Parts: sequence; structure tokens; C-alpha cells
Amino acid sequence: MTGQEIVFALLGAVAVGSGIMVVTTRQLVHAALWLVLSFGALAGMYLVLTAEFVAWVQVLIYVGAIVVLLLFGIMLTRAPIGTAPDLDSGNRWIAAAVAVATAALLVTVVVMGFGDAKMPLEAGGGSAEALGSAVFRTWVLPFEVLSVLLLSALVGAIVLSRTDIGGARSRGKGD
Amino acid sequence: MTSHVSAALAPGGDIPAPHIEYGQIMPILLVLGVAVAGVLVEAFVGRTWRYTVQVPLAFLGLAGGFAWTIVLGLRDETHAVAAEGALGVDGPTLFLQGTILILALVSLLLIADRGTGSFAAQAAALPGSEAEQRTTAAGIIQTEVFPLLMFAVGGMLIFPASNDLLTMFVGLEVMSLPLYLLCGLARRRRLLSQEAAVKYFLLGSFSSAFFLYGIALLYGYAGSVKLGDIAAEAGRDAGSETLLLGGIALLALGLLFKLGAVPFHMWKPDVYQGAPTPITALMASCTLVSAFGAMLRVFFVAFENLTWEWRPAMWGVSIITMIAGAVIAITQTDIKRMLAYSSIAHAGFLLTGVIATSREGLSSTLFYLAAYGFTTVGAFAVVTTVRDAGGEAGHLSRWAGLGKRSPLIAGVFAFFLLAFAGIPLTSGFTGKFAVFKAAVEADATPLVVVGVISSAIAAFFYVRVIVVMFFSEPEADGPTVVVSPATAAAVVLGLAATVVLGVLPQPVLDLAGHAATQMFVR
Amino acid sequence: MDLYVPIIVLGVLAFAFAAGSVAMAAVTGPKRWNRAKLEAYECGIEPTPQPVGGGRFPIKYYLTAMLFIVFDIEIIFLYPWAVAFDRLGIFGLVEMVLFILTVLVAYAYIWRRGGLEWD
Repeated sequence: MTGQEIVFALLGAVAVGSGIMVVTTRQLVHAALWLVLSFGALAGMYLVLTAEFVAWVQVLIYVGAIVVLLLFGIMLTRAPIGTAPDLDSGNRWIAAAVAVATAALLVTVVVMGFGDAKMPLEAGGGSAEALGSAVFRTWVLPFEVLSVLLLSALVGAIVLSRTDIGGARSRGKGD
Repeated sequence: MTSHVSAALAPGGDIPAPHIEYGQIMPILLVLGVAVAGVLVEAFVGRTWRYTVQVPLAFLGLAGGFAWTIVLGLRDETHAVAAEGALGVDGPTLFLQGTILILALVSLLLIADRGTGSFAAQAAALPGSEAEQRTTAAGIIQTEVFPLLMFAVGGMLIFPASNDLLTMFVGLEVMSLPLYLLCGLARRRRLLSQEAAVKYFLLGSFSSAFFLYGIALLYGYAGSVKLGDIAAEAGRDAGSETLLLGGIALLALGLLFKLGAVPFHMWKPDVYQGAPTPITALMASCTLVSAFGAMLRVFFVAFENLTWEWRPAMWGVSIITMIAGAVIAITQTDIKRMLAYSSIAHAGFLLTGVIATSREGLSSTLFYLAAYGFTTVGAFAVVTTVRDAGGEAGHLSRWAGLGKRSPLIAGVFAFFLLAFAGIPLTSGFTGKFAVFKAAVEADATPLVVVGVISSAIAAFFYVRVIVVMFFSEPEADGPTVVVSPATAAAVVLGLAATVVLGVLPQPVLDLAGHAATQMFVR
Repeated sequence: MDLYVPIIVLGVLAFAFAAGSVAMAAVTGPKRWNRAKLEAYECGIEPTPQPVGGGRFPIKYYLTAMLFIVFDIEIIFLYPWAVAFDRLGIFGLVEMVLFILTVLVAYAYIWRRGGLEWD
């Protein structure tokens, strides 16, 4: 085993372990924080695979933004501090069985599919420059459409969340 | 993708500008452009004028896109990939895009109808709160519906046209995200509507995740996300079959969810019932067309050499979809839920056309989609007109005696139901006949037998509704029929298409056949 | 991998400093009880009362988070674009301007509708 493989396996164990903690912890806020660890370990795995840019995307978007949104979501809905006994539904064992079965299936597919095949790691294959030249040439249409997706997400956020916007109070200013 | 990356990595070399065939993808650009313009209207136009500006804008966008699609179809030279291979512009795609655009136009008639008032005055106001009553009384309308609708239609146009799985995923999300939102904007029974939106969102994201995992497995198999490359790799019979089959299964799961095929149909009755009825009409017609278009493209292009692998599973899905849709529909007492199960059963009938994997299968599915789309928009348009004090009269018992109270609207609805059942001289018959004929020619006769049996079961509950409408006494406080001009126009368009495609189907059948001659581009 | 050696070294140093400081404070610092020390610290201003017992934070925060996430994603695309900018030519500029303008439309919408006003 090379050093890279050991680091990769350790990070994988951290990602899976913290992932299990996310779904089993009884404190909602802790679940979000365990998710940070899981995402962080995943970012480390990307880094080991020389996908540098993807690793930083993982850190900036998932660890940075998604978890912040999750925490906001927790605060906005009920802001529980401490353990929440109603965090479990009665279906925990069924849910666990489904989750384990799905995971087993997907792991089997990947193991059977790739076996012990090895891919050489090329330095720079996942760098920002390589991705930049692909995104801005081959994938230009999906890229531009993504901006539309972001726009509709923000419009939707406004529509769903703010009652005061365009309401009686801001009539003089907004319109 | 690897080849592109390594080519672009040539040290210091300039990256040539991508080649975009603007003319060929103009319908998509136009619809998305109008959506962005709609957001700008929301930003800079005063409240009183917003509705007045948004509606013509949306109409122009959809009509312009439709006209452009027709021009592209007439030019007859369009059989090419566009935008660096991201989109395929070919006969079936143009037919599907044209169908989506015209059905979206008819749905827009319902959405824009202020008389029926299907949308919440202010989506963010708590149901039952004082703010809700105030905004409703003030006659405010949530005009963001129009840009969101255009975003969704833009995604629907991209979804069946995408020539690689990455673009397809982006199209799927652009289509789905606004729809999740629109489902939660019903004016009445708002908690039900919001619950529907949350359910749709959670299940939809879940299916998107499976779709994405399928893309990853197929990329692992073929080293490319382009549909043509996957087909070529599968044709060479190289690589790991496990990855390929796993990829097909997960990708199909994501697509079947959007169609609402059993066992991925659980969202459909709840969402169709909870969503504002004009949005239900849009989903039942345009989303179904778009999702079937993507399904056809994936299975006809990427997995064309693998029919023996995916056919047995698809047989099973088709059979249980037809039977479950027809049988469960019998037990429904809500008219929108019943139509939802009817839509599930129709997804099963349409899947037989996909299973045929022949040119006839393709052209008959295209025709069926157009015919069913018009009928279902018309049926939901009728649903919006039968109203109680509390909004639409959804419960079937409230429709009792509608034939005596309003023979015209009840007659039209009965006609739509007969079209769903596939009675001759309606478009439903022509569509079913074409699809089943293609399936028989492709050696799927057992499937057709099941299809005919479940059609007969389905006919039972369609006839039951007709009996309730015409042969039972109306209640004293029964619902009234309120038809505003825009809704009437939608009903008439749906009715006209259902009649014409039933009596004189040949021009459209020829059109679908012509569109399918060259199959999909790759 | 050599590129990462300075980063790893810096990370180890930072971790050692942080852990060391906490340990040093625990060992050498005086321990005198004071009520103020147990309160939430909000950069010196009076702490905002927390909603208790199922209370909710104002929904305004949600919009802030959404704005952050959308513009975060937008910024992410600027990195590969900037690195490849010299080779992309004028079309690359057009692509990025179009992308940013589209997202800015959302910004204009929120601004005009008063979404950026806090009270």
C-alpha cells in the first residue's frame, strides 16, 4: 500500500463514520456539524485523487455554503438546542434496512464493476485550468443554463419566504 | 470528456471558441430569455402593471418558440448536434419541443386566467393568517408564476434534446425546480398544496440523486457522458457489464420517476391533487412529454444495442404501471387524483411504444404524447370550471348531476374521459392503436394484451364518472360552473385536438412518422 | 504532492498553536467565577435574545443564506475561468459576462422588491 492509498482509506473511513453520525445523532445541530466532517473528508479524498479544483469546490460550496444553509434551516424552523427525542420516527429499523441494502447494492456494483482496476493519477487532470478549458468550451451550454437555474432558485426563495416584499409596507419603495 | 480535456491541455494553446448553432437552439434560448426578462419585469415594473406585461410576454415567448420550431421542422435539413454536441436537433426532438410549446401555450391560458384565481395571492403568507386575507382581498397576484413557468418550459425543452447525460441532468433540474415551487402556490387548500410541493421536492431530489449516480456509473463504463459514445462502447462489448447495467438501472429509475411509472408513481396523485390545477395540467401534459422524450432518446440512442438487457425489466414496469394505474383509479373519489392515476396508466401504455424500439414505436409514441397532452390539458381545464364556494369541487360526489346543471361542460368532460378510455373516433383510440400496433410488430404481443385488458378496466371508472354526471340527481347546493374566456379557449383547443386527432389523424400521424424517419441524431 | 508540503506544515503549526494555547490557558490561567463569562459572546455588544421553546429566527436569514449560496456558486466558476482566461479569448469573456449578468438579474429583483432591507 502506498501512502496515498492509506490516506485515501483513512479519509474514506472518516467520511463514512461521520456520515453514520449524521443520521444517528440525537442533536440536530450536531448532525449538521458531523456533515461538515463528512464533506471535509470527501474533499480530502478528491485532493488525494489530484482533483484539486473539485476538492476546493467541495470545501467552498458544501462545507461553506450548504452546511450554512442547513444550519439556517434548523434555526428557522424550530431552533432546538440539546437533544430532540422526536428526531426518530418509528421507522428507524426499516429505514436502516433500506439504507444498508441500498449501500450494499451500490458498493457491490462498484466493486464488481471496477474490481482491482488501477488508473494512473495524472497530476493536473483535475486542476482549475483543465476544468476551465472543458467548461468554457465543451460544456458551455449546460454552464450558461446553470445560471438560469441559480436565478430561478433565488426567485423561488423570495416567493416562498418573504411576506413583506412587495407587501403593503414596501409599496412606496418597491414599486 | 477525457479527450477534450487532454486536447485543451496542450500547453499554452488557445482554446477555440465553441461553435453554437444559435438558429437551431433558438426556441430554448427564446423561452429562457423570456423567463429572465420576466424576472426583470418583476423587478422594475409596478405592481399594477406586472400581470398586464407578464402574460403577453409569456405568450409571445412560447408562441415565438413554437413558430421557430415549425420553421426548423420545415427546413428539413436539421439533423445535427448543436452547441458543441450538447443538444441534438432532429425530427423527434423538434416534434417533442413543438408539442411541449403548444401544450404550454394552452396551459398558459389556464395559468393566466384571473377569473378562476388558482394561485395564492402571496405564497409566503401563512395559511389562514391575517396577511393572507389582506393580500387576497387586495387582489394581489403572485406574478412570479410566469417567469417560473417559462424556466420550467425551458428545462422541458432541453431535457429531451440533450445529447449527453450532463446536459440532460441540468435540463432535468431546470425543469423540476420551478415545478416544485409552482406546486405549492395553490390559492385554496394551501396546506395540501404545500405538502404536495414538499413531497414532490423530496422525492424528486431523491430520484435526481439516483439519476446522477447512474450517470457516474455510465461514465465509469464508457469514459464519456455522450449518449453516442456510450452506445459505441456498448456496441464494442467492452468494459464492465456490471457498471453498464447498474448505470442503466439507476438512470431509468430517475426517468421513470418523472414519468410516474409504477413503482415510482407515489408522488403523482398527491402532487396532482395538491398543485394548482393549471400547474397540474402543465405537469400532466408538458412534463410527461418532456420526460418521455428524454426516455426515448436515452433508450433509443445510448442503449440501442442493449435491448435484450433492459427490455425484460421495462416489460415488468410497463405491465404493473398499466394495471396498477387502472385498478387503483377505480377506488379514487377525488377527480384530480383519479386523473393522476389515469395519467399513470397512460404512462404504462406509452412505455409499450418505448419497448418496441422501432421507428414505428417512436412515431406512435410521439403521436400518443401529443394526443394525450391535449386531452389531459382539456380535462384539467374542465376541472377548474366546476366550482364550490371553497374553490374547485374536487370530490366526485359533488359532480353528481352535473349533466343536468351544465350539459355542455359535462358533455365535454365525458368526451375527454372517453378519449382517455380509447373509444374510437377520439384521439385516445388512434394513439393507443398506433402504440399497440408498433408493440405487436416488435413481438410484444403479451404486453398489448395486458394493455387492452387494463384499458377495459380503466374504461370502467371513466364510464362511472360519466354515469355520476348524467344519471344521478344534482344536489341542491351543488357546484356551479364558472367558465371564463381563457379557460373556455383552453377547453375548446383540447376538445378540437381530441376530435381532429380522432377523426382525421392522418396528417399528424404522417408528421410524427416523418419526424421519426431519421430517428435520433447522435 | 510536493506542492502541498508547505500547506500541511502550516496546518500542523496552526493546529499545534491552537491546541497549545488552549492547554496553556488551562494550566496557567487564573480561574475566577463571573456570570458574564457564561453568557454568549457577540463581539462585545449586548447579546441578542435567543428564541426559546420552539421560537423561530426571522425568515430574513434564509434569504441571506440563499444569496450567499448562489453567489458562492457563481464565484466558484470564476476560478477556472480566470486560470484559463488567456487561452479562452474574447468568447470566454462573453460567456462569463452572460453568466454573471443572469445571476445579477436575481440580485436586481431582490433589491427592487426590498429584499435587501433588513427592517
